[in-house]
This record gives sequence, C-alpha cells and structure tokens, in this order.
Amino acid sequence: MSARPKSRWADDEEDAALEAQRKREKEEKKRQKAAEKARKLAEQQQQQAARQPQQQSQSQSQSQQLEEKHHSTEEDDANGPPAKRRRLSPERESTATATTAPVIARGGVTVAVTNDDRKLLRFEAPPFGRSRSVEHYEKLNDIEEGAYGWVARAKESATGKVVALKRLKIDANDRSGFPVTGLREIQILKDCEHRNVVKLLEVVVGEGLDSVFLVLEFLEHDLKSILDSMPSPFLTSEIKTLLLQLASGVSYLHAHHILHRDLKTSNLLLSNRGLLKIADFGMARYVGDPPPQNLTTLVVTLWYRAPELLLGTPKYGREIDLWSVGCIFGELLTREPLLQGRNEVDQLTQIFSLCGLPTDESWPSFRRLPHARHLRLPPAPKGQTTFSLIRAKFPLLTTAGASLLASLLSLDPAKRPTAEEVLQHEFFKQDPKPKSEAMFPTFPSKAGQERRRRRETPNAPGRGQGMAEGGLDFGSVDWSGIFAGRDKEERGGGFSLRMV
Amino acid sequence: MSLLANPLVTSEQLFQRRSVGALPIEIQDAIFFATQSLTQAAGILLELPQSVTAQANVLLARYWLVENMMADEFSVRTLLPLLPPSPEANRSQDVSAAILYLTAKLSSHPRSPRELSAIYSYLLSKSSPFFRTQQLQNLPKYVPPPESHYQSFRPRLLTLESRILAALSFNTHVALPHPLAITYLQSLDFFCHPRREALARRTIAYLNTALLSPQLLYTTHQPHALAVAAIYCAARDLGAKMPECEWWEVFDVEREELGFLVVGMRSVEGWARERLMVEVPTSEGGMITRGDVERVLREREEKRG
Ligand SMILES: Nc1ncnc2c1ncn2[C@@H]1O[C@H](COP(=O)(O)OP(=O)(O)OP(=O)(O)O)[C@@H](O)[C@H]1O
Ligand SMILES: [Mg+2]
Repeated sequence: MSARPKSRWADDEEDAALEAQRKREKEEKKRQKAAEKARKLAEQQQQQAARQPQQQSQSQSQSQQLEEKHHSTEEDDANGPPAKRRRLSPERESTATATTAPVIARGGVTVAVTNDDRKLLRFEAPPFGRSRSVEHYEKLNDIEEGAYGWVARAKESATGKVVALKRLKIDANDRSGFPVTGLREIQILKDCEHRNVVKLLEVVVGEGLDSVFLVLEFLEHDLKSILDSMPSPFLTSEIKTLLLQLASGVSYLHAHHILHRDLKTSNLLLSNRGLLKIADFGMARYVGDPPPQNLTTLVVTLWYRAPELLLGTPKYGREIDLWSVGCIFGELLTREPLLQGRNEVDQLTQIFSLCGLPTDESWPSFRRLPHARHLRLPPAPKGQTTFSLIRAKFPLLTTAGASLLASLLSLDPAKRPTAEEVLQHEFFKQDPKPKSEAMFPTFPSKAGQERRRRRETPNAPGRGQGMAEGGLDFGSVDWSGIFAGRDKEERGGGFSLRMV
Repeated sequence: MSLLANPLVTSEQLFQRRSVGALPIEIQDAIFFATQSLTQAAGILLELPQSVTAQANVLLARYWLVENMMADEFSVRTLLPLLPPSPEANRSQDVSAAILYLTAKLSSHPRSPRELSAIYSYLLSKSSPFFRTQQLQNLPKYVPPPESHYQSFRPRLLTLESRILAALSFNTHVALPHPLAITYLQSLDFFCHPRREALARRTIAYLNTALLSPQLLYTTHQPHALAVAAIYCAARDLGAKMPECEWWEVFDVEREELGFLVVGMRSVEGWARERLMVEVPTSEGGMITRGDVERVLREREEKRG
C-alpha cells in the first residue's frame, strides 16, 4: 500500500512520469508544506472573511452568477456519485506524525494527507431556532438603570439559575430598524468563548418583539462599583491578577479580530472568586488586518479614548483598546479615573500633561492626523519622556510597573504593546507575584441586592443617538473658546493647547 | 464556535416541513426556488456583492425551516392583489426583501428601505423580465408605484426584520463556502490546470446554484463539504483531471456526503426547468405570489372533491 498508485493519465507519458518521479519525491515535502500552509492561511482568511464580507474578494462578478447557472446537461451517470475508487489513503489512520504523512502527487495535483488537516476541518455550531420569551425569567432586582441601558438580576424559573438580563436599546423611532450595534454585540458574544469574556447564554424577546434581552451569566460586581466603594486600594498583587485577566481577555478578542472599543472599569465584571470578565460589547466589531479605513472615531468613552481617536485618525486598530487598558491600570492604582477630560479638547490636554507632548521622535505620524493640523504645541521640554512623567506621577510603582504603564500610554499607537506582550511583561514576573484568584478578597455585592449606584462617568459615545459610522465633526466642538487661554487649560504640564 | 461552521438544520425541523398543515412539499420547493432567485436578482440590481446576497439566501433557508412559509408574503405585493382585499392580504410581508435588507445592513454595504422598495417594486412589476421568458421585447413600460406604496412597505419590512431575527434567535452568522473552494482549488494544484479560471468560475457557479436548491443544501451541509462537491462537479464538467485517490477525504468529506451533494448540485437546473412552473403556474408570469399558491391549492381541492 505504501507503493505509489499507478496514475490513470500518466500512461501515455510513462517515461516522463518515471523520470519526474524522483524529482517529485524530492518536492513532496515542499509541496506538502505549501499545501498545509495554504490550508492554514485559508483558515485564517476565512475567520476574517466570515466576519468581513466586504473584504472578501469574490472571484465571480455579479452578472456571471445567473448566467453561469446553466450547466451543460450530462449523460446520466455524470449525475451519479463519484465512482468507488481504490482507497489510497489508509495511512491516514496509522500515521502518528502528521509531518511524515503521505503525499499523493499526480499530474500536477498534490494532496497532503495529514491528521492535522482532518482535525482542522471539524466544524461545529449549535442549531438555529426561535428565541424564547423573557417570561422564562423572573426579575430579582435591577442592577443598573441608566439613560439607555437596563440590566437586572434574574432567575430562570425552570432551573433557578441566576443570570443577568440586559435589555438592548431599541429605538422605536429608528427608521433603519433593528440596531446594527445590537446585532454585532449579540453576534460577537455568541462567537466568543473565553474565561475572561462574559458569556451570552441566550437572547430572549419580550411580547410583541419590541424588546430584546441578552441573558448573560451573572457576576457579582463590576470593577467601577468596587473601586468606588473600597476603603483601601487594591494591593499590587491584586492589580496584577486583574490586569493579567484583562490582557488575557483582550488578547483573545484581538486574536479573533474583535475590537472592543469601550474598555473601562464599569464594563469589567468581577466575580466573588476574583474572576474578571470583559462585558458590554455594544461598541465592539469585527475588523480585519489591516483594519478597514471607514471605522468611526466616535468610539470609546471619552476618559478611556486614545489620542489618535481624539485627533481623528482615519484608521485605527487594536492599539486603541490597549490605551484603554493603560487607563484602567492607572485607575486600579488610584481608584480614580486617570484622565477625566470634560470634552475632547480637554481630554487631549490632560493626556499631553500626563504623557508629555508629542514630538517627531515620540510620534512621527502625529502631524498627519486630521485634527493635529489645527494644534499649535509648545516645544516639549528636553529629556521629558512618558516614562519619566509616569514615574513621577506614580512614585510607588516599581520600574517595571511604570514601564508597562508608560508603554500602554504611548502617544504613538505603534509603540504600545500588544495584549500578548502585556501578558509576557516583566512586571508580572516580579514580586509581589499576582495573587491567586481564589485568595481574592470578597466585596459586598451591590448587584446582588439593590441597584448599583448611578455614576457620573461619561457614557460611550453615540449611545441611543442613532450613531452613524462617520467621524467626529470637530467643527461642532468649540476649539477656539477652549483654547482661548482659559486658565483651566493650564494644567500640570505648564502649557496650553492653541488653535492655529 | 468556529466561524467556518454554519448552524445546521435538525431532523425535527426537516420533519416539520412535511407535517400536517404544511404546504405540499413540491409547492414549498417551488416557492423556495423562486424566492431565492428573486433575492439574487434584487442583490444584483442593488449592486450588492454576491457574498452579501448569498448570506441572505442562507438566512432565508433557515428562516423557513423555523417559520411557516405562508406566514408572510415571499415578495412585495405590488400588483393589484390577486385575492379580494382582506386584512390578511394587507398584512402580507416580504421575506426576501427583509432578509436582504438585514444582511446588507450587517455588511459594509447597507441599503435603505427605500432602495429596496424601488428594486422590488420593479422586479415584481409587469415590466420586469424576472421569471418571464417570453415576449421580453413587449414588456410594458415601467411605471413606479406611488409614494404610498413605500409608506406601507417600510413598516412591513422592519416588522418582518424583527420577526426573522427572533425566529433565528438573532444568530445572523453565515459561513460561505466560496472562499474555501478557491483555496481548496489552489491546494489541489488545480490552478496549474490550463483552464483554471473556467474551473474556478464553474465551481463558484455550482455554489451559487446550490443556494437555490430546494434541498436546502446550505442548511444540511457545512461549507467545506459544499466547496468540495462544487469542485468535484466543476472538474467533472470540464474534464479536469482529479487525483485518483479519495482526495475529498483530505478535506474531511466522506464519499456518501460527497455523492449526495454532487447529485443535489447537479439536479437543480433540470428540476427548475421541468418542475418549477408546473407546480405553481403564475397567472401573469413573473414571480410566484401567495395568490398563485392559494389558487393552486384551491384548484387541487376542487379536483379532489
Ligand atoms: N453579566 C452581568 N452580571 C452582573 N452585572 C452586569 C452584567 N452585565 C452588566 N452588568 C452591570 O450592568 C452595567 C451595564 O451593563 P453594560 O455595560 O453591559 O451595559 P451598557 O450598555 O453599558 O449600559 P449603560 O448605558 O447603562 O452603561 C455594568 O456596568 C454592570 O454593572
Ligand atoms: Mg457599559
């Protein structure tokens, strides 16, 4: 069986085939590798393509589709199943090492038979079917009721299982129907499976289909509520545990081409056992690599929004989530949001006073950003780096800690670490070691009893405003007034931003 | 869940199609084919990429495995109602348009309800060549419907969108086999074949045709199997040499599955030619309407009793 099967079509050129055989054997491994690579690539491309129909290059033009439907009529047997052929690939079962599996090459057709390949293509997905009614759940108490959102703790009547019910914001007056952000939130949550990403159990509907609820696994706290109410700050070991979990969740999302676009402490849930989960995918979306050009910059709650977004970058990527992670890191240290701007311009001012002014070295592409053209910046003081400024602001943080925070808060998005790099950072290897989740302190659950306190933090942009994928119109922001030398702008950095 | 996989139909859902009270299966098949073709035609006129329209086709197949076919209108009713006006007729909805609207909205090629209204009005008018094979030169000049048509269309469209989402528990994920098929062709070295472009085109054509198959192939088989079967059919049509081994196993497709799909894919056209118009002859040519179906059912009833 290990002998090469005789080719059906090589007969008339047998000599050539024999000669070519040696050459082919040599090339076998090369071909096999290429085939595997193609398959792996296909997997990757597919993962993206599945989410990004617009980026799919269909090799078929529209007009061809209908024309091409006319197949030539064949003799009857052509419609039959493929004829039974000798089984030529039994090695598949017996081959322990995929790399030495046989390759059958014939007439320019190369097939790599490997165990790996077979595993790659085992697909599974749950079946489709109707949404259940929200009547299957009993409300226990409201957790959060904001201007737009409503989240409650509830119990599934049949099982007694406690869950969180989140009502999707559906604007009855929205002339475009079911909000696409809601659809994305559902689809992304459905696709995710990670211990640091909140799990969507099902989607249920109210009577008349005018309300739609996400049924989420229930977690006792969100990080914002804990920070607001805890008498003393987190220990460094605890901060490390939280950050590692956050980075691990973000790394998973990014590996799956998902941008969260609204990371902040109120969107991070924490269980009584110290398990952190990323929640609120209302702003999230799939983006390919490289990211598309037409993403809205109107994302991320102001205080966690990266400078390139504030400056109207035409394209952005995962780095914006890592900026938010940096802001969250800072907030964990002080229990206070790190950068509390009152508007876009003030936010930028605060960023520059915390991280230093951008220079051609620290952020080469800065000047090319749309809104940067309107800024006149004083020269940056010599020798001032984000690291030195962060160091000064957080004197108790170790050098490694300060270097991690400073890198996350790099003005230049290209200089920020990836979530994967954060996980590998020196900071987490040093003492004190991350505290084990099981040893995490427990906090009184606000969600478990009464309503969580309504907080004065700004909301994610565009919520309930029928957000369009456009851009922030800086024309509507009164830059001149803000830059007109009001002393409030003279912050720590000892400079003010000026409009040209 | 793998993004490469699709949720598949359960045997229970398939069984439901044939339960008491359901439409006779051959009529369901005719409606299915006609509506999927309508979606394709609308997708072309709306200049949507085939990937978007194909996703709409797959979602529609799923929807009708959950929701009774006669619950909504399959298309927009633009002609004077064939039935005496009744509240039922006025509530008639438009599945094809609503699903295409939803799918386009999720893609980066959204289309407005007004655009959909315009395109469907045209396709279903007496001026449209859609499903009309005769006298194409003598079609009457197209007169767009009055504004009131759109005013009633939009709320119907949006209501139906919600119903479709609820019927699919808001799962709008569709994995298409088209890009997979191209990659498979490459890894099979078929791209060295002198007619590789024809081969790729034919493969894609088989995949697009399969979207219309009343056998609901996209709900019974995963994309990788569809891709392999389409390649097999195309290679056979063009006489391209295939490996002599059971190469489909490399792509995790078994002989039986491949055989089933090959027969399924190759039979769509013949079936459409022979049976489609026989099952539900339309009264004025063009797209099958609910009225046509009701008339056929009535005639059958009369014949029987
Ligand atoms: N699974 C959950 N378990 C417990 N609490 C939750 C859960 N999901 C959300 N919450 C609580 O509800 C709050 C709001 O939820 P979420 O962030 O998902 O909605 P939102 O769209 O941001 O709503 P809002 O506009 O009110 O912020 C969270 O900050 C958290 O306190
Ligand atoms: Mg939130």
